[in-house]
Amino acid sequence: MKISSHWLRDYIDHPLGSAELSHALTMCGLEVECELVQSAAVEGVRIGHILRVVHHPNAERLTLCQVDLGEGAPVQIVCGAPDVAAGLKVAVATAGTTLRPPGGPVRIRRSRIRGEVSTGMICAEDELGLTDDHSSILVLDPDAEPGEPFADYLCRAGASIQETILDIAITPNRPDATCHIGVARDISALCNVPLRKPGVKVPRAGGETAKRLKVSIECPEKCRRYAGMLVEGVTVGDSPLWLKQRLRAIGLRSANNVVDITNFVLHECGQPLHAFDFDKIADSTVIVREAFPGESLITLDGKTRALEPGTVLVCDGRRPVAIGGIMGGLNSEVTGSTTNVLIESAFFDPSSVRQSVRALGLGTDASYRFERGVDADGQAWAAARAAALMASLAGGTVVEGMADAHPNPIVAPTVTLRHARIARILGTSVAPAEVERILTALGFALTDTGSGSWQCRVPSYRPDVTKEIDLIEEVARINGLDSIPMPHATRLPGTVPESRPDDLLRAKVYGLLSGRGYREVYTNSLLSETDAVQFCLPALAAKGPVVKTANAVSRSMTTLRPSLLPGVLQVMSHNQNHGQEVLRFYEFGHVFHRVAEGAPYVPGFSEHAALIIAVSGPPGPPEWGAKTRQADIFDLKGDVETLLEALNVFGIRTEPSPESTPLMHNFAVIYSDDVEIGRIAALDEAVTAARDIRLPVFFAELNWSRLVRHAGVHTTRRYRPISRHPAVTRDISVVVDHTVSAGQMMDTIRATEQKLLQSVSVFDLYTGKEIGETKKSLAFSLRFGAQRTLRDVEVDTAIQVIIGALQTRHGAKLRGPATTHKVIP
Amino acid sequence: MEDPYTAQHLLVEAEALRRDVEDAKLGSEAAAEAFRIRFLGQRSGSVTTLFKRIPELPPSARRQAGITLNSLRKRVQERLLAARSSLEARRTSPEQRIDLTLPGRRQREAGSVHPLTHVLRSITGIFERLGFSIEDGPEIEDDWHNFTALNFPPDHPARDMQDTLFLEASGDVMLRTHTSPVQIRSMLTGKPPFRIIAPGRVYRNETITYKSYCLFHQVEGLVVDEDITMADLKHALYMFAGAFFGSDVRLRFRPSYFPFTEPSAELDVWWDLSGGGRWMEILGSGMVHPNVLESVGIDPERYSGYAFGMGVERLAMLQYGIEDIRILYENDIRFLSQF
Repeated sequence: MKISSHWLRDYIDHPLGSAELSHALTMCGLEVECELVQSAAVEGVRIGHILRVVHHPNAERLTLCQVDLGEGAPVQIVCGAPDVAAGLKVAVATAGTTLRPPGGPVRIRRSRIRGEVSTGMICAEDELGLTDDHSSILVLDPDAEPGEPFADYLCRAGASIQETILDIAITPNRPDATCHIGVARDISALCNVPLRKPGVKVPRAGGETAKRLKVSIECPEKCRRYAGMLVEGVTVGDSPLWLKQRLRAIGLRSANNVVDITNFVLHECGQPLHAFDFDKIADSTVIVREAFPGESLITLDGKTRALEPGTVLVCDGRRPVAIGGIMGGLNSEVTGSTTNVLIESAFFDPSSVRQSVRALGLGTDASYRFERGVDADGQAWAAARAAALMASLAGGTVVEGMADAHPNPIVAPTVTLRHARIARILGTSVAPAEVERILTALGFALTDTGSGSWQCRVPSYRPDVTKEIDLIEEVARINGLDSIPMPHATRLPGTVPESRPDDLLRAKVYGLLSGRGYREVYTNSLLSETDAVQFCLPALAAKGPVVKTANAVSRSMTTLRPSLLPGVLQVMSHNQNHGQEVLRFYEFGHVFHRVAEGAPYVPGFSEHAALIIAVSGPPGPPEWGAKTRQADIFDLKGDVETLLEALNVFGIRTEPSPESTPLMHNFAVIYSDDVEIGRIAALDEAVTAARDIRLPVFFAELNWSRLVRHAGVHTTRRYRPISRHPAVTRDISVVVDHTVSAGQMMDTIRATEQKLLQSVSVFDLYTGKEIGETKKSLAFSLRFGAQRTLRDVEVDTAIQVIIGALQTRHGAKLRGPATTHKVIP
Repeated sequence: MEDPYTAQHLLVEAEALRRDVEDAKLGSEAAAEAFRIRFLGQRSGSVTTLFKRIPELPPSARRQAGITLNSLRKRVQERLLAARSSLEARRTSPEQRIDLTLPGRRQREAGSVHPLTHVLRSITGIFERLGFSIEDGPEIEDDWHNFTALNFPPDHPARDMQDTLFLEASGDVMLRTHTSPVQIRSMLTGKPPFRIIAPGRVYRNETITYKSYCLFHQVEGLVVDEDITMADLKHALYMFAGAFFGSDVRLRFRPSYFPFTEPSAELDVWWDLSGGGRWMEILGSGMVHPNVLESVGIDPERYSGYAFGMGVERLAMLQYGIEDIRILYENDIRFLSQF
C-alpha cells in the first residue's frame, strides 16, 4: 500500500526525516518495502498572465501569446495548446529551465518557431512533473501574482514539490493502517506527538436526507450498516491540482472531482465510499440484499459480472446498482452531467466480501479494506467528510441529515490488561505510565482498576484486538523489540534430547553413498498424472491409487509421486543430455498413495519416507589401467547390501519376485527378517527409451520409514571374543542346473553346518559348453573356525556333509577336490 | 705478501670448476659419490671452498659472487640427480619403474550431498547443540492442523498469505503450507516442556519462476515451558544467526504478523551487495498465541512459548550466492559436484 509522506503531514507534525520515517514504521510493524522520491520540475518556472493571443502568421495550429511575467514588458511565447486564452494565469517555463515530461528532460531556450520569437513555454501538468495529465495547459488561480516563482504558488495551494512515497507491506491484522490517518496514528504513538484529524461536522441520522432517500438492509449479517448522504447541484469537472497530485502519488488516476473525492477519503481514513448519480437511483430507494440465482451486473469497468447467489448487492427500487463492497455498476455511474450525488458509506462483512472477491476474481481498493474489516464506527464521518469536500470542490450543497440503516451495530469490546503479564510475555518490564501513553495514543480508552491492571476499551477501527495478548503486542511494537534485552545465559532443558534413529541413519547414508560415488538429488513431489499412474504399481512402494490435487497451477504437476523413480529418471535424462556418462543418484523423499484405512495421519491418505538409489552407465569415469565397463544390477545390489549392513539392518534377504510388470524385469524384494523393506530392479528398456536414456537403468527403492523401525540403531553392541586360533578356508566348486539359485544354495550351506562355519561367499560363477548348456558352475569359499585349533578331519567331515546336502537338495555335482588355505590369526 | 682476493679471482676459478663439473664421468655409484665429495664436500669440496672465500671480497662484489656460486652448486646437484636416477633405472626391471605423476585410480568419483541437505543439517545441527530435538510430520495435512488449530480464522485474509494446494475429493485435505502443523502434532502427543525443531517439505500453489517454486523446505522451531519470554526467543534466534552467518552478522528484529504467534516478529540480516546492501528477511517467529496453546489443551496462563520458522532454500541461496531457485531442483551434475 502506498503512503505519501507529504499527505501524512496533513495529520501529524513529526520530526522524522524520510529515512528515519521508513525505519521507524518498519520497526513498529509497518514494513516499508521501498521508497520512491517524486519531484516536480519547478526551477525557473514562473507565473505568467496571458495578455493577448493572436494566430501565428505562419502556422495554423499555433498561437502567439503576449505574456506578463512581472518584468514590465510582456514577452512573446509561441503556444500549441488549443485552450490558451487571454486573461489566464499559467505556469511559464522561462529560458534555461529544464522540464521533465514523460518522454525525457527538455531544456527550454529562447528560439524562433516558424519565424516567430518564443521566450519560454506555457506548461501542462505532466511537463511540470505534477501529474500525468497532458490534456491541456495548467490554468492557475485568477489571483496568482505574475512573476511569482511557481514553487511558492504550489506551496500555497497545498501541492508538493518533492515527496517520498512509501510502499508499506500491510499485515492482515492491521486494517486500521490501510490509510494515511492510520499510519499517522502509529507515528503519533511512536514520536509522542498529537494526531490531527480533519474537523468534520457529522450529521445525525434522519433529517431531510432520510426523507428523500429510503435505505433498507435485507441481509444485516452481511451488511451491518448503510449510511447515505446527498449532495445537490454539483458541477462534475476537474479536481484541483493538490487532489490530483495526492491520488497520483499513491498510484491512482484522476477521474473527476466527485470520484476523486471518494478515493481521497478512502485513502485518508480507510472507509471505502461510492458515489452514485442520485438521479439514476430509481424510486430514491436503496435496498441491500443478496443476489438471486442468475443475476448479473455490468460493473464500472464495463464488464458483465455473473453473480453467485449470496453476493451482496446494492439495489435501487428496480435493479442492482453496485456489488456491495467491491465495485459500482455502470448504470448509476457519476458522469459529466451528474448534478445530484448519493454518497454510500457502508460496512460490509469481511468474510462475505472475501468470498465474493474470490468468486468474481475481482479485488479492488474497497474490497481490500472490507475484507480486513473497516472501522465499524467510521461510516458517518467518512460520508460527511466527502460531502463537505464535494461542497467545497464541486460547488454542491450538502443536504441536511443522513439516511442511516444500522441494524447490527458492533459493540467495541473491553479487554483487561495485567501489567505483570506484559513482562511475563516480553521478558522486559514497561513502566505503567508508558503503557498508558502508548495505548492511549493508539486510541484505546484505559481505566486503571487499581490492582495492577487496566480495562481497555478497544477503538472501533481495531477489530483485530480482542484479547490481552493483542494489547501486549501493541505495547511491544511501539515500545520497540530492540528494547527487549538479550539474556547472558539461557536455561538448559533437564535432559539431553535423544537423537532420532532416522537422523542417525540418514547421516550414515549421506557418508556412505557419497563415498561410493552417488549424488544426492531433490526432485519435485508433483508429477503429471500420466507419470504418477505409470509408476504407481504394487510392485513399487505404493499400494493404492495415486493422490491428485484439486487446484494445481499446471497440468504437469497435478499428482503426488507414488515413487521416487520418475524424478530420478528425469535427472538421469537431463544429465545424460548434458554429456554426463556416470549416472549415480539417490534421493530421500515422501511418496504418497490413497488408502481405504490405516493411515497414521490423515484418513484416506498414506505417505512414507523413501530412499531411492539408481545407477546407469559406468561406475566411474575411464581411467588408465582399468577396464571400462557398464554397471549392472549386481554393482547396485552390492552397494545396497553394504549400506544395509552399515545401517545395522539385520537378516537381509533378496527374493526374486514372481510378479511381472511392464516397468521392469528382474525385480526382487528385499526383506529384513520377514519385513519387506524395498525393491531392486532393472528398468524395462521401453521405459528408459521413452525418456531417451541410452543405457540400462537399475534402481533400488527402500521404504525408509519402515527400514528405520527395523534398523538396530539402539541395539547395544556386545563384544564377541576373537579366536586366537587359526581359521581354515576351503573352496568348493559345484555344477548345478541353471535354475538353481545361489541364495538357496548358500542357505543350505549355512543350515547344514552351523557350528564351525563362520562365513560363506561366492567367488566364481561360470557357464560354458563343457559343463553343459543348461548348467552353471558356482564356486564357494567356506571359512571354518572355533575357539580352538580345528583338526583337518573335522573340516573334512563338515565339507562332506555340505557337499552331500548340496547334492540332495540342489542336484549339485562337485567339479574338483576342495582346496584348502590356512588363515593365520 | 699475497694480493688481496678479488672478485675476478673467484669468477675465474668458478669458471674453471664449471668445466670440471661438466667433464666429469659419472658411470658408477662410486664415481658419483666421489664427484659429490670433490665439489660439494663439507670440508674441502672445491665449490664449498670458494663459498668460504666470499667474506674476503669487497662488500659490493659479494652478491654477484654468491649468485655465480649458487648456480654452480645447483648444476652439480642436477648432474648428481640425473646420474643417480639413470643408475637406479639400470638396476630395476621395467615393471618396477613407475611414474608417480600419473593420476591415482579412484574407481569412482566422489559423490555429493545436495546443498539443501547441507544447509538443513547445518540449521538442525545448531539447534541440536542448543538442546532441541528433531520431530517430523506428514506433508498431507488436514485443515485443522494446518490452519484452524494455528488460529487461522475461516475466511480470513491470513489464509491468502499462503496459496494452498488442496487434494481432490476431500473438502479439507491439503498439502501443508508450512511446517507449523508439526507444532500441533507434537504438543498433542506430549506434555510441556517442548523444545523441538521440525524440518520438512512444504507446498505452495505457485507458478514456478526464478524466485518461487511450488514447494520448498522449512525448519520449524517450538519451545513451550513455564516462564518462556520474548527475550528467550530473541536470544535463541540471535545465537542461531551468529552461528549460521558468523558472529559479526548484523540483525534486525522487526514486528510482524502470523496468526499463530503474538507478538510476532521477523528476523532480517544485513546483506552486503555491491554498491550498498539490503535487509533480507530470513525467518518469522513470535510468542505462541494463547489460542494455539488452548487448542491443544495447554493452559496459557501457566505455560508460554515461542515458535519460529525459516526457509531452507532462501538461506541456501544467500549462503551459496544462488539466484535462481530452480537450479536446486534441476540436479545438474555440474551444479551438484560443487557441494
